[in-house]
Amino acid sequence: MTVQADPRSEARAFTGQSLRRHDGDDYVAGRIAYTDDLTLPGTTHVVLVRSEVPHARISVDTDVALARPGVLMVATGRDLAEHVGPIPNAMDPAPTGGQALELRVLPNDKVVYVGQPLAAVVAETMQDALEAAALVKVSYEPLPHVLEAEDALADDAPLLYESWGSNVMLAGTAGHGDVEDLDTRSAGVVRGTLRTGRGAPAPMEPRVYVADWSTRSRRLTWYGTTQAPHPLRHSIAQFLGLRERDVHVVAPPVGGSFGFKNFGHPEEYLVCVLSRLLGRPVKWVEDRASTLRYGARDSRIHYTASFDADGRVTAVSCDLLANHGAASATGAFGMAFAGSLAMPSGYDVAHFRCDWRVVVTNKGPWSPLRPFGKEAGALLMETVMDAVARETGLDPLEVRRRNWVKADQFPFVTATGLELDSGDYEGLLDKALTVLDYENVRREQELARQEGRYIGIGIGFEVLPEGADIPGALIGASDISTVRMDPSGDVTVLTGVTSPGNGNDTAIIQIVADRLGVPMDAVSIVQGDTDLCPFGFGNVSSRGILTGGGSAALAAEDVAAKLRGVAAGMLGCESPDRIVLHDGLASVVGEPERALPVAAVAHALYTVGYIVAPDVEPTLEATRTFKMGNIRHHADEEGRIMPFSTFSNGIYLSVVEVDIETGIVDLKRHVMVHDCGVMINPRFVTGQFTGGVVQGIGAALTEEVLHAGDGSQASSGFKTYLLPRANDVPAFEIQHQVTPSPFTPLGTKGAGEGGVACTMASLLNAVNDALSPLGAKVEELPAVPHRVLEAIRGVGR
Amino acid sequence: MIGHPFTYRSPESAAEAVELVSAAPARTRVLGGGTWVVPECNRGESAPDLLVDLRRAGLDRIELVDDVVHVGATTTYTALMSSAIVLGHLPMLAAMARGITGGAQVQSQGTIGGSVVAARPQSDAPAVVAALGATLVMAGSQGERRVSGEAMFEAASRSCVRPDEILTRLEIPVQGAARWGYYKLKRSASSWPIATAAFVVDQHGSGSVTDARLVLGGVSGTPVHVDVRSVLVGGPLEPGRVDEAARLVAASVHSPWEDELAPGSYRLAVTHPVARRAMEMAMQQEDS
Amino acid sequence: MTGTEPVEGTTIRLNLTVDGQDRSAAVDSRSLLVEALRDGFGVTAPKVGCATGDCGACTSRVDGLITKTCMRLAVSAEGSQVVTTQGLAEDGELSFVQEAFWSEQAFQCGYCLPGMIFAATELLARDPDPTDDDIRWALSGNLCRCTGYEAIVAAVRTAAARQREHLQRD
Repeated sequence: MTVQADPRSEARAFTGQSLRRHDGDDYVAGRIAYTDDLTLPGTTHVVLVRSEVPHARISVDTDVALARPGVLMVATGRDLAEHVGPIPNAMDPAPTGGQALELRVLPNDKVVYVGQPLAAVVAETMQDALEAAALVKVSYEPLPHVLEAEDALADDAPLLYESWGSNVMLAGTAGHGDVEDLDTRSAGVVRGTLRTGRGAPAPMEPRVYVADWSTRSRRLTWYGTTQAPHPLRHSIAQFLGLRERDVHVVAPPVGGSFGFKNFGHPEEYLVCVLSRLLGRPVKWVEDRASTLRYGARDSRIHYTASFDADGRVTAVSCDLLANHGAASATGAFGMAFAGSLAMPSGYDVAHFRCDWRVVVTNKGPWSPLRPFGKEAGALLMETVMDAVARETGLDPLEVRRRNWVKADQFPFVTATGLELDSGDYEGLLDKALTVLDYENVRREQELARQEGRYIGIGIGFEVLPEGADIPGALIGASDISTVRMDPSGDVTVLTGVTSPGNGNDTAIIQIVADRLGVPMDAVSIVQGDTDLCPFGFGNVSSRGILTGGGSAALAAEDVAAKLRGVAAGMLGCESPDRIVLHDGLASVVGEPERALPVAAVAHALYTVGYIVAPDVEPTLEATRTFKMGNIRHHADEEGRIMPFSTFSNGIYLSVVEVDIETGIVDLKRHVMVHDCGVMINPRFVTGQFTGGVVQGIGAALTEEVLHAGDGSQASSGFKTYLLPRANDVPAFEIQHQVTPSPFTPLGTKGAGEGGVACTMASLLNAVNDALSPLGAKVEELPAVPHRVLEAIRGVGR
Repeated sequence: MIGHPFTYRSPESAAEAVELVSAAPARTRVLGGGTWVVPECNRGESAPDLLVDLRRAGLDRIELVDDVVHVGATTTYTALMSSAIVLGHLPMLAAMARGITGGAQVQSQGTIGGSVVAARPQSDAPAVVAALGATLVMAGSQGERRVSGEAMFEAASRSCVRPDEILTRLEIPVQGAARWGYYKLKRSASSWPIATAAFVVDQHGSGSVTDARLVLGGVSGTPVHVDVRSVLVGGPLEPGRVDEAARLVAASVHSPWEDELAPGSYRLAVTHPVARRAMEMAMQQEDS
Repeated sequence: MTGTEPVEGTTIRLNLTVDGQDRSAAVDSRSLLVEALRDGFGVTAPKVGCATGDCGACTSRVDGLITKTCMRLAVSAEGSQVVTTQGLAEDGELSFVQEAFWSEQAFQCGYCLPGMIFAATELLARDPDPTDDDIRWALSGNLCRCTGYEAIVAAVRTAAARQREHLQRD
């Protein structure tokens, strides 16, 4: 029998397996307790009084409301300004030349959007609070309002924040090279405008926050819907002027978040100050209309791109204008920055420039939203590729092949300064074409056209910068994990990442169980409790497995090394390297009869360590983290940094049929190929993509937050903000490609944001491909029926 | 949580219900199934002092009386879908019920009467019951009142049912051998109907059309009755005549409905294909 | 005439059979049924996602019918039999549908599960061998923002197959 050189490289029992969720029985049987399911004794309830107008100076009379029985407090911005300062910014635009944000939990004297909370009623019961809230009298001194970004840039536009002197929160430029005079030095030029409507994260669970100030321990315990317990703890401590150790954040399982439940929302801090003032637990539960007031996208891009005679794109320049709505402390403005960096996607474009501006208007604030603005990169470049195909007469697939970064060019530095770690974009397309018989579908399209049916084939390709590490912010590409084995052999993993439902907790158990050679049920995991878990940046930027899984693997390796050392001693084996931990046993490689239960080895170290393992420290606990090898925060000579650690990618091919009499788009087929490097649990990864795809379908076809001219939000529920349902979407045709990242411990790349951007792009391209015989073109998403019909009818006008 | 305190009553007869609603009609809301009124109260858009729930009032019977189907006001969509009387005599009503969105939960709670009384432009029922020639039967303190035709729906969200009355039943003549078609255009599964067309056509044994009714929903505040008889009566139901009839519809829509989901111009633009598709459905129907 | 009389102010006593147990609790008379279940009876399996009957997360079985309990007034349910996803597991044994949702990874955050599981259960009770289109239509009263529905459809298919096998065995 051959002896393996490295027993640790032996086949993993669990990694790579699509195991079911370790706690799935609790989910399906309704036993999981989300934040709103927790009830603390003595809880008081908050109802917010909200602005009825989009822009006004306010004065608030709380006397009548306060006199109601059961009412404990009615707080206005002015009241609270005596106790607390502004909300700490999750990301701050000021250091990069943007405006200083000083946002309050409740506004002092001015509201800037319909629905903005302006007073908080705290009462013994929800009913008491609701009745009292109706009695708060608000006097509005209306100001002119502005809803569209281009209008907000006008010289005479009303200013949301007077001290800024304009409505531009932050502006910047990404890219390098020469993008001037494109017409004179290329075979051809394409120009256009792309618009994306305002989308909303809309997780099924609205936000819920509970703050409990203990007058005895002088500590604040906070329970709520958050992706990032540790950064939130830091931020709450700063807000309340407490030591960080005196804030305890608990994040129960969340009901979806998609970026929305990162930190920086006013109510997260509001409940803290109210609880501290009252000395009782204070609970706030959001309603659906409030959830839908937080949006994203709402952008337009003007672009110009040049290409040579071979269909190679030589230069792209674009201007991205983002409508942020009201300002927010969540760092959502970063989506415009990330969007610009995600350009020019995975294409080898030497000359590229994106000028971007983030503008405030009298709509609800932006919220971080999967895939954090990066869809702009895919939409821009996929539109350009199709435009070049039309101009050159080349097939759109061929144009992409000619422009992609090739597999042998990695690591590849893009024009915006990102170092793409690895990939094989042509390989993605080749895989997609094994599923979709492209030539045949093109023939069917031609036949259908002869029958007056309009089939379209669309291509969408994305490269997603993930695993972000943002200088100056508590958003980092690392997490700390502790792995601990008890004398009984039970293992506990404590980690800083959270699991918003994606199964990364189970996947981390798979990683750890493999390395310790124990069964899955021997391992439990603790997340989302800042008193118990080591520091982590939470679940953002698709980093749950990337950072939490990576650090847990390293910690488990450390514990495994100790177990091997102890077992070697106990089994009389000269080298710990010859000990294999597998199937609950520590055994000598190639000699399965020389084995001990792992639990017995653990127990021995704790109890007879001085006898069996005199040289091994008597602990079976390790805490580890790691630094990404490719992050660079020192700016290069052009001022560019490299704040992302991995770049997962994918290509999607969509087949749609457009009903040209009604403008209805029917998605017939959606072929998805994705590469997020190594997959710990392929089914969880697939679930991320199918979920992302349907969010992309919504963004491309149905979901749009609309406002009436008076500033009120017309889309306030699920009858007016249309999420796709099961019968709106086809069965997906899914393939995976695995190109391991050379920079992450497990070769993973992050899967959490995939599918949205390339679905938006492939659907836009498919609709326009369908409409091409009519000479019609849609340039705005979502491609809702009336927009498609207008495009068709607009031809020849 | 509903903010405004209210009294709840579930009367056990229509007479009791009338007594309750006529006491303070302006401050009272009636619950058919509650799928519209309860969420409305919960959002604070309606704040009645009294909620009268008809669930125990015995108004959920479906009966065939001399070629007229009596459909109790609180008959649920699920009941319509599974009633042999409705399946046999009012297949278009059964089809409409099957297509109600919101899942089995809404189909088994929502009622035909509730939808008619709510008279929302974007709901299925008004145009369908109009096309079927239904008569609404109301009970009030002055006795029974019957309304049919265009008078059933007065304006968007206002039916002919007065606040001091309750709708007790719909009386719908059996479809008999009439062919029918119902086409519903929605933006997606989550969307309200944007435009609907309900079409019923009587034909001679020879295939010549003797009568036809086409009613559009969703495109205007109230159902739009389109007189397609001038085009269709006297000839066979065939594509050319169907298309000609469909071309009449846009002119019948005087002020198109507009909401968050679609502008009026869009609704106007799709009336033609929607009407045509409903008629085509009837055309392609096997003889029953 | 049936009605529920106030106990004190707007508080009433509501009697329900919840997951097989006869229970009584004080609830606000203005409560939606889902609020009464959660706040009055401490039964938190049904969730509030929208309170407008759109998302289905509050679904429970009420007197034999699957119901969006945010569209029912608590007072209207006096004396009703209510089964939640928690009670759907008989004697702690997961139902075929629950088991399949677990094995097929048909959920992520889990918030939509009450609607999805009850809709699937209701479908399989009247159609043991549904097509994918039937399944998608049956689920369409409920929203899921995480999964893209793909795995949910697979779970319903799997549950149907297991249910058929089980029935054949008996």
